[in-house]
Amino acid sequence: MSTRAGRGGDPGWREQPTAPILPSAGQPAGPDELLRQVARGDEQAFAALYDALAPRVYGLARRVVRDPAQAEEVAQEVLVEVWRTAARFDSAKGSATSWVLTITHRRAVDRVRAAQAGAERERRVGAASVETPYDDVVEEVTASLEQQQVRRCLKGLTDLQREAITLAYYGGYTYREVAEKLDTALPTIKTRMRDGLIRLRDCLGVEVGAGAPETAGR
Amino acid sequence: MSQPIEIHTLAGAYALDALTEIERAGFALHIASCEACASEVSELSETVSRLGSASGEAPPPRLRNAVLAEVSNTRQLTAGRAEHSARGSEIAVMRWRRWTAAAVAAGVVAIGGVATTVVIEERRVGEAQRQADQLAAVLAPGDARVRATDVTGGGKLTVYVSPSLNKGVVVMSGLPEPPSGKAYQLWLIQGRSPTSAGVMAAGAREGTVVLEALGSADTLGVTVEPAGGSRLPSQDPIAGVPLA
Repeated sequence: MSTRAGRGGDPGWREQPTAPILPSAGQPAGPDELLRQVARGDEQAFAALYDALAPRVYGLARRVVRDPAQAEEVAQEVLVEVWRTAARFDSAKGSATSWVLTITHRRAVDRVRAAQAGAERERRVGAASVETPYDDVVEEVTASLEQQQVRRCLKGLTDLQREAITLAYYGGYTYREVAEKLDTALPTIKTRMRDGLIRLRDCLGVEVGAGAPETAGR
Repeated sequence: MSQPIEIHTLAGAYALDALTEIERAGFALHIASCEACASEVSELSETVSRLGSASGEAPPPRLRNAVLAEVSNTRQLTAGRAEHSARGSEIAVMRWRRWTAAAVAAGVVAIGGVATTVVIEERRVGEAQRQADQLAAVLAPGDARVRATDVTGGGKLTVYVSPSLNKGVVVMSGLPEPPSGKAYQLWLIQGRSPTSAGVMAAGAREGTVVLEALGSADTLGVTVEPAGGSRLPSQDPIAGVPLA
């Protein structure tokens, strides 16, 4: 009586599936869905989320903190934080991408401000603005439609709105520092930041909570 | 002192992370009780993150492995569920009582303002005045109080309280990194009984927590607890601020 030892290579035998069933192989899940899976402890979903968002996390950190090594540290902290706190994500309050980038920006800004605390920071703020981050953005932003749209909408702002927003966002400055740098009154800067963002919001067609009617109705 | 300016105008600066800690705290308090503001902030934050999306840049390839490896060894927070403290509650309360007495005995310097009283436990009087001015500009209620203290081991704990709203905001910044699997937890203490006022994300070293109801708590304290928080403080507090 022959054994089946010689048939190990037969691809027709499926006594035990050796690989897990592929999760809905059709369309890849977007960041929102991935983040929900991550909240349930799914490490594969986290890896996919990493691939989707790490370039933006790192890119933003790099723009704000400048130093590549520090940007890498910030990115790592942020991405691990995303894993830890994924359960707190609430799609009614915004997209997963926004949630992750908000954490990223906060971390990056904290790092910049901590590093430049005290007199050195004062001096830096007082010094004439050599680099306007917006110029970098305009040069580097070439790729995606979304990026082109951001660029186009930024161009639609008044100079003061745009400078106030980009100095604060990419430079990590407080609005007081921005006011000082732009030699403009504090209330004006505050208003321009808000007006400018509202104009950007409308230009970009940003809506919040549209994707989550079940929570919005509560 | 100047009239409270229209607080709404800070929504842009808030979404851009362009406020100082203390202003951020004041504004966070404001949006906690203003639905329209909260939704505007959500939209502006979403808008701001589009700016962030515009700066994509491939990270060094090693980052992926580093992050995935750390994630494999990192416990996740479960939403809103606190872990039970392993220690007996009596021990915790005894330690707590001892500590509370010490915190109240600590010297504080008071600086009177017209609408705002600032108490700060250290020498930076000018800094305190500046914060007071900022808050007065940010906040509508005239009974604003700010208290700040240095945290054992580094960093700062700032508490903003509005008795008329029965609310407060806590800002923690530059705290030492908690040990692996640990998180900072806030406590509102009335007399000798602490009530959890929120748990930070595990490993988080800074954050803003809105205190929705102060009740008659007289002290706010911070301890290091297992991620997700404890029912009662299991360790000596690293910082505390009298609220009254």
